[in-house]
Amino acid sequence: MRNLLIFLAGAVALIALPHGLSFSQQEILVFLTINILLVSSYRLLTLTGEWSLGHVVIMGVGAYASALFTKEMGIYVPVSILLGGITAALLAVVLSFPLFRMKGFYFLIGSFAAGEIIRLLWKRFRDPFGGPKGIKGIDPMPDFSIGIYDFDFFEPVSYYYLSGAVVAVCLWVLWRIERSPVGLTFHAVHWQDKLAEASGVNLRAYRTLAFAIASGFAGIGGALLAHYVGTINPNSFDVEVMVFVLTWAIVGGTGTFYGPILGCVVLTILNEIVLREMGFEQMRPLIYGAIMILSILFMPKGLESVVQKIFSRKAPDNATGQEAKT
Amino acid sequence: MLDLLAQTGLNAVYAASYISLIAVGLVLIFGVMGVVNFAHGELYMAGAYAVVLLYTDFQIPFFLAVAVGMIFVGCLGLAMERALFRPLRDNPLGGLVASIGFLMILQSLAVMGFGVRMEHIPPVTQHVIEFSERVRLPLSRLFVIIAAVVLLSALWIFLKRTRFGWALRAAAQDPEAAALQGISINQTARIAMFIGAGLAGIAGALTAPLVSVNPHMGHSVIVTAFIVIIVGGVGSLEGAIVASVAYAFVHTFVTTFFDGVIADITGLSLMLLVLIVKPTGLFGSADRA
Amino acid sequence: MTQFLEVDNLTMRFGGLTAVDGLSFKVDHGEIHGLIGPNGAGKTTTFNMISGFYKPTEGQVRLRGENISGLKMHEVARRGVVRTFQHSTLFAELTVMENALVGTHMPFRPNIFAAIIGWDRDDRHGAEARASEALEFFGLDHLKGDLAGDLSHGHQRALGMAVAYASHPDVMLLDEPFTGMNPEETRQMMDLMRKLREDGITILIVEHDMQAIMGLCDTITCMSFGKFLAEGGPEEIRNHPAVIEAYLGGGAPCCLR
Repeated sequence: MRNLLIFLAGAVALIALPHGLSFSQQEILVFLTINILLVSSYRLLTLTGEWSLGHVVIMGVGAYASALFTKEMGIYVPVSILLGGITAALLAVVLSFPLFRMKGFYFLIGSFAAGEIIRLLWKRFRDPFGGPKGIKGIDPMPDFSIGIYDFDFFEPVSYYYLSGAVVAVCLWVLWRIERSPVGLTFHAVHWQDKLAEASGVNLRAYRTLAFAIASGFAGIGGALLAHYVGTINPNSFDVEVMVFVLTWAIVGGTGTFYGPILGCVVLTILNEIVLREMGFEQMRPLIYGAIMILSILFMPKGLESVVQKIFSRKAPDNATGQEAKT
Repeated sequence: MLDLLAQTGLNAVYAASYISLIAVGLVLIFGVMGVVNFAHGELYMAGAYAVVLLYTDFQIPFFLAVAVGMIFVGCLGLAMERALFRPLRDNPLGGLVASIGFLMILQSLAVMGFGVRMEHIPPVTQHVIEFSERVRLPLSRLFVIIAAVVLLSALWIFLKRTRFGWALRAAAQDPEAAALQGISINQTARIAMFIGAGLAGIAGALTAPLVSVNPHMGHSVIVTAFIVIIVGGVGSLEGAIVASVAYAFVHTFVTTFFDGVIADITGLSLMLLVLIVKPTGLFGSADRA
Repeated sequence: MTQFLEVDNLTMRFGGLTAVDGLSFKVDHGEIHGLIGPNGAGKTTTFNMISGFYKPTEGQVRLRGENISGLKMHEVARRGVVRTFQHSTLFAELTVMENALVGTHMPFRPNIFAAIIGWDRDDRHGAEARASEALEFFGLDHLKGDLAGDLSHGHQRALGMAVAYASHPDVMLLDEPFTGMNPEETRQMMDLMRKLREDGITILIVEHDMQAIMGLCDTITCMSFGKFLAEGGPEEIRNHPAVIEAYLGGGAPCCLR
């Protein structure tokens, strides 16, 4: 009962949130929502112990696919967003054949190379990817009304509600997967792959499964982004964005479900509200870099470890014991 | 046609020279410290900006500027070792993340100090060696080739003939055993980091008049260096040199006969292929990652 | 009638070194079979070939007549042959219960779609029941919530066995299960293995220390320098001149002559 009340209060707060913000802050809220999905899906991959540097490009695959589905085939936007995610997941399955011959550092570099190849293909082939300038004039989400509220998707508030609902469903699914025997198997693959294999776990299949799910949700995130901003190009998904995702995950910590989300929210608030308002726009990468270094040096388990410390005083039996290995 | 082949070959030799300077430094750092230095491209950039500042702005003689640039970047490497890699020695992913953070700091310092525009550096020499009417090698490119040959040979002798070199190789092979032999890990890490960064710095300093110097020039360089060290086998200096030459030739010829993007795709695809067939690289044997 | 588990002319070469050379022996259903030999005899290599960790250079491992050599470890496991590891190879960061639940992976194969919408409740209960049963069997049920990495050494070894047992194996391959155990723990573990045998589980133990498993095994195969040396009951092996020589001579038999 108490949990339900907290949940309802949270939902009301999230619905009311944009109305207290300026237009540009509302826009940031939309991006933040999408980024939360991006970083949470990234965490699912890290559950199996693999760190990819191609996740943002995979997100871009979802964005390009959904943009092209609507543009070239006239598919209804909500459907094409879903198809964008499916395309990204299928591509991940294909990529898993070369990539999962490698582990650890080699996987990291391999995923980076695969991502760069995809980005260069977008750059090189004007048809259908639009070359370096990318795709412009992507169909927006068609407006509709649900009686009490008219959705106009050029308005960030409307798009925030839409993406918020989609992301909430996706996060719920990710949460269910992590808390299931499948999630336990992901952990097993991470910590002792040989013992997991001796227990009958097909390592390749589970690594591929995690990669495909993570990529699928990243693809949905990319598609949501594409239909909001209306224009995408290869540089929207370059390594710099990947570094941001990595920073969110590391600053937040990857040991818990909420860790990366926490990192994403805290750094976005710091970045957009504090730095931008204070006019430090140009120093953004510098400050991000410094935060990355300081947090890996002095807080290697992320913000979540701070949260855990606070809460463990109240409820000592609540420790999950799954720590971030960074 | 023969002229074109010869000219492209010369271009490839030049490319192989500066790529191998960068890749060998990266391999040295990885071998001794076990950390992937993502900021290596930005060390190269720092070398180039050192020349911009000293040679273009302060009118210091070019070769003096290059030497100062190399030592400056070497010291940057020492700072990285002390501040980042030493505290994170037992945490390879942490070292990698920290180096990405350092990359962003260097990059934005360059943006703040020099702006995002490309720097124009007055040519050091207009002299061009003409082999025939259409096969020519600018002298400033020859400097890069000579520097690569001299420095890499010197490094080779240092590693094989001196006590420090022996310690470095021992540390690269088995850090724990080396520590038991009384080799200081901190000492070898400092040497490796100084040499590795210094090589990247001199590559940047020497090529500064030949390329467009801008804050983002490190990106394509680090991608190239990664391809090279993966193909050559992570941790193998010989492999890095051989792979640099091979990559430079493939990339230069594909660029000449098709275009640059296709050449990049070819390079990356070749690397993926090597990773699939022999994940430890052509010359690699020990699995350290 | 086909043999239950049969090792036939198994050979493993690493470069120029022949670690196991034409080894053949048979394991009957429902027995505890020991594989012994001095250090460096190739026991662990043999063990790794049976469990699918290595692919043999030559020869076959047959389970109920089916050739299982060269299969991947999880494929061997799915045929009912489950191994444990030397030392304390466990999911140290997971709880004892979670370790055992990973062991139930095969009987209760997770299904991701059922897991998302919550239609796998029966499977989850079944897996939990099986995991609890395995923990109880090895006397670990009071430690369910503890992290595996925090357990004492004896408990860790027992948990390794419990993870294997949770998967309902036909054959358990145990790699030096008594290493690092005190005499009391060893005695308890032997009793548990006899109970496993009563359950119809076939056990193959690789052990360096001959005395430890003399009282336990029904049949013992002794190997030396990669080759078959002798086979028989405990008494027979204890008094076998070739076995005595191999053990007395250790790694350098020439020095004794």
